[in-house]
Amino acid sequence: MNIIICLDNNNGLLFNRRRQSRDSVLCERVVALSSESTLWMNEYSASLFSPETVKVDSDFLEKAEKGDYCFIENVDFTPYLDKVERIIIYRWNRAYPSDTVFDDSVLTSRMLIKSTDFAGFSHERITEEIYE
Amino acid sequence: MTKLKQIRLIVALIFIIALFTSCNGGTALSSPSSFDTASQVSEDDVFSTGSVYESITESAPESSRETNNATTIDSIPKYNGKRAYIAINDNVPGFTAVELVTDSYERYSPLDKFGRCGIAMSCIGRDIMPTEERGNIGSVKPSGWVTAKYDIVDGKYLYNRCHLIGFQLTGENANERNLITGTRYMNVEGMLPFENMIADYVKETNNHVIYRVTPIFSGNNLVCDGVQMEAISVEDKGDGICFNVFAYNVQPGIKIDYATGKSWLDSDTSTSSTTDENETEYVLNTNSKKIHRPTCSSVKDISSNNKATSGESKQTLINKGYSPCKMCNP
Repeated sequence: MNIIICLDNNNGLLFNRRRQSRDSVLCERVVALSSESTLWMNEYSASLFSPETVKVDSDFLEKAEKGDYCFIENVDFTPYLDKVERIIIYRWNRAYPSDTVFDDSVLTSRMLIKSTDFAGFSHERITEEIYE
Repeated sequence: MTKLKQIRLIVALIFIIALFTSCNGGTALSSPSSFDTASQVSEDDVFSTGSVYESITESAPESSRETNNATTIDSIPKYNGKRAYIAINDNVPGFTAVELVTDSYERYSPLDKFGRCGIAMSCIGRDIMPTEERGNIGSVKPSGWVTAKYDIVDGKYLYNRCHLIGFQLTGENANERNLITGTRYMNVEGMLPFENMIADYVKETNNHVIYRVTPIFSGNNLVCDGVQMEAISVEDKGDGICFNVFAYNVQPGIKIDYATGKSWLDSDTSTSSTTDENETEYVLNTNSKKIHRPTCSSVKDISSNNKATSGESKQTLINKGYSPCKMCNP
């Protein structure tokens, strides 16, 4: 499976149990990226997407199969690292408050194979990084 | 109580319940947690109902600040040298039902007898966000303003004219009721992240955020100890934005006399670290917006048109939209 996460400048994920930010253009990009397979997420993340584009399950990391995409906001995917093919990071290129941060040591064994900037709806520049 | 008053009270209670069952507090901030923290947050308790309602007064006053004193500095843990802000009251803001409106506005307190700013209150909406570049605010001298420069401070200057309500939210320029003497650290590390979060949320959703910033002064001090920032998103009842934090008006390595604004180097700060900070220089790729060490192997591949050097701190460059190179990890 492929992991998708969004991070701020300090690798922050959440503050007060809420996402740091959101962007509709990013969501469209995620849907397009995963159009050939299944895009999994939990109930919390599903509010960002059209229902017909995603598969929602509280146990989605367990159920995701090879080639599937998992959009991660408030769950830990590290117990499933053996299943992870690619990690796709969207960087907001902004500083937000955070009390939950992503431990990027999981990237040390991976290679950054692609980095692309694009303009979001409410974000001037979002960077998409793909680690394999 | 008249029938009309009873109806008003019931409506206010329903609104309060609807709002605050979505705005439960998280745990108070400590040092940044790893992803392990996320694993402890189950889907069910992300927005589980809290007990916040129990602390809300039934007869909602016109303004929560008219009846409730702002947080006092005595109730705030001392700065621990790690985080520029700390959650207070479990991140639950102290607004009352009548304050949760969807008509954008901004309101600033008159200066007090010491020339100090007071509470700034606003309902942030897209209609009052700035459409022009920021103007010059140098004409305003907030209380306790004493110009001081230090090599260990990002940008050298200890103090910034800190907007209570950030420019990106309401477009206020040289408004003396909205500018305080704040350290660079509080401005950039303590306040800006929250302003960014509100601004991007409002731009994205077109919703409104009630936002209040309260500078907290000890006694007759001219420089505040910090600012309390409270915010809640209205249309989604706090699902998007909900916080109550205190940002410390401190600058690591610098001592401040809050009564006057005078400052001096903390004797515990080693000279060597000052020198190291001062001598750090990065190579920038202005096209890819990457920060490199001068020794990074990628530097030789940067076109001369896109290459620049900078003595600014890494954090300053990140705040300007740059990101560290993954290879040399500056």
